[in-house]
Amino acid sequence: MVAPAVTPAAPLKRRRKAKADDGVITVGRSRTGTVLANTAGVVFSVLMLFPVYWVLNTAFKPADEVLALEPGFWPSNPTFDNFISAFKAPLFLQDMLNGVVITLFAVAGALVVGFLGALAIARFSFYGRKAIILVVLVVQLVPFLALLIPLFLMLQNVNLGFTTLNLTDSLIGVSITYLVLILPYTVWTLRGFISGIPRELDEAAMIDGCTRAQVFWRIILPLTGPGLVATSVYGFIQAWNEFIIINTLNSPDKQNLMAWLLQNQTTRGTAWGPLMAGAIITSIPVVVFFLIIQRNIATGLTAGAVKG
Amino acid sequence: MSVVDSPATRRPRDPGGPQQNRVPGHVAPRRRKRNSSVVPWLLALPALVFIAALLGYPLVRMLVLSFQNMRLRELISGRTPPWVGFDQYTRALTDEVFWAVVGRTVAFTAVSVLISVVAGLGIALLMRRVARGVRLFMVVAMMFVWALPQLVAAQIFRWMTDSDFGVVNYLIDKLPGVDYQNHSWFVNPWQGWSVITTLVVWAGIPFLAITLNAGLTQVPKELLEAATVDGATPWQSLRNIVLPILKPLLMIVTTLSVIWNFGLFTQAWVLRDGHPEPQFQTLATYSYTQAFGQARYSLGSAIAVITVLLMLGVMIFYIRQMFRIGEVD
Repeated sequence: MVAPAVTPAAPLKRRRKAKADDGVITVGRSRTGTVLANTAGVVFSVLMLFPVYWVLNTAFKPADEVLALEPGFWPSNPTFDNFISAFKAPLFLQDMLNGVVITLFAVAGALVVGFLGALAIARFSFYGRKAIILVVLVVQLVPFLALLIPLFLMLQNVNLGFTTLNLTDSLIGVSITYLVLILPYTVWTLRGFISGIPRELDEAAMIDGCTRAQVFWRIILPLTGPGLVATSVYGFIQAWNEFIIINTLNSPDKQNLMAWLLQNQTTRGTAWGPLMAGAIITSIPVVVFFLIIQRNIATGLTAGAVKG
Repeated sequence: MSVVDSPATRRPRDPGGPQQNRVPGHVAPRRRKRNSSVVPWLLALPALVFIAALLGYPLVRMLVLSFQNMRLRELISGRTPPWVGFDQYTRALTDEVFWAVVGRTVAFTAVSVLISVVAGLGIALLMRRVARGVRLFMVVAMMFVWALPQLVAAQIFRWMTDSDFGVVNYLIDKLPGVDYQNHSWFVNPWQGWSVITTLVVWAGIPFLAITLNAGLTQVPKELLEAATVDGATPWQSLRNIVLPILKPLLMIVTTLSVIWNFGLFTQAWVLRDGHPEPQFQTLATYSYTQAFGQARYSLGSAIAVITVLLMLGVMIFYIRQMFRIGEVD
């Protein structure tokens, strides 16, 4: 066996540096190989970014440049016209507002309901715990698209005992649907955050005279704070990105921006410039939020099995 | 908190940690908890009610519906649709078009998952090899791709492959001796599907590469360096050291990719302007168009049930893996 590349005897500075790029192998690496790898990495990144660049490029071009037979790789007369006409397009602002309302409602609801459920799974061992875990895991894999038909029929005719409601073509029906869409993920992720808090803290607090409710308010809830933020942001992305359910259930003035983008394409040919501008506006919250929580998002995905 | 919550990246302190630190003679947790077994159920109740109402009930309703014949008439009048037994299933399963859709969906899933996972692993390995600045560039590029909503990504690809003004045609046309002016990518299903596959792989690589890269950082570098010094080729190191350690994580991401790609809807839907031709139908779009386009709600339900059944094998596998992780904490 070979000794580790850096021994504890090495100077502190060198040790820190080595720690920072852990996992980078130093043995048996040729210079040509490194150059090749770096080139491949750059080429890969540029290729990945090209479509993202292309949507930006198109959005800032005036109409005649968008439809030039020889596409320009740089907007020679950059303009905000496309963004303005997207905002002025019928229902754009309405659908944007709808999307915000629906998403906020769904996320807030899922957070409250999901947190309680997560608390039960993470902090109690009780008869039926495994069954609940199983339910949470199974339902997040049920394709919502497959349930769209019964969901549509169900929301059309909600029987509350004293009255029947038609929740299709309403923001409430979609909000509740989205709440449930992100609920399994919320429960599962928050479970992870809560079980990360040492139980000793709970026990110490209880020995000091706290009730269970106080333990919850004073210890678990504050310490889960970052987890709640990450989870709600992820829920936001999920709900904001959804369009099939809302597109099927609701008429154009009760849509969100995603569905707006979809309908904008089918009705009257395609105005590519405004469409790309609309796509950028729609993506901004998602991209920003995503970049904020990107450290946690892989956790959520491998745990949550939900894709945007 | 590690980037990926899986056996491969789990830090050793996680499983046994709290128990080791426990003060000897502290209150036995089991007795206390059994006394309050109503509380956890009360806590979980709202979640269970929501799940039962909006997932459980529709699931049952879908099953029931698949044994009925719900058409537009029944939908409007609200009458109970006639029971038809297994007719919808017979109809679907004896239809050549349906089998073509199943075959296409399976083939697409196999090809796209294989390409995505291999490419993702390749990129993850590349990330371990490049200079730090290049690695950062790669991560930033992938983060932007990952963050784009599926629908927007699909719209971008629709624009780039536009037959008249698409940049893809323009660039290919530049190659000597190739005429791609006004070339339509979706006339030939092979070409159309290669566009869809490119889109799916492009959008899927960030998750795979970044997750697998996180897994790779957990592979002890001493092992790899020792192997290199002992004369192992990079390929041997990969096969005998890296892959075995990465296996649980690879399993999870592959299973997830299968589940996601098998349910392909958005990409095919958007690239075909919301009216996928028969050769661009997948099980998801087919069930949807049967139900909402043709008002054959029961046939759509039957196809959805078959889809779920087909996915069940993969799902069970995924749930078993996740269940183990959930049990450890």
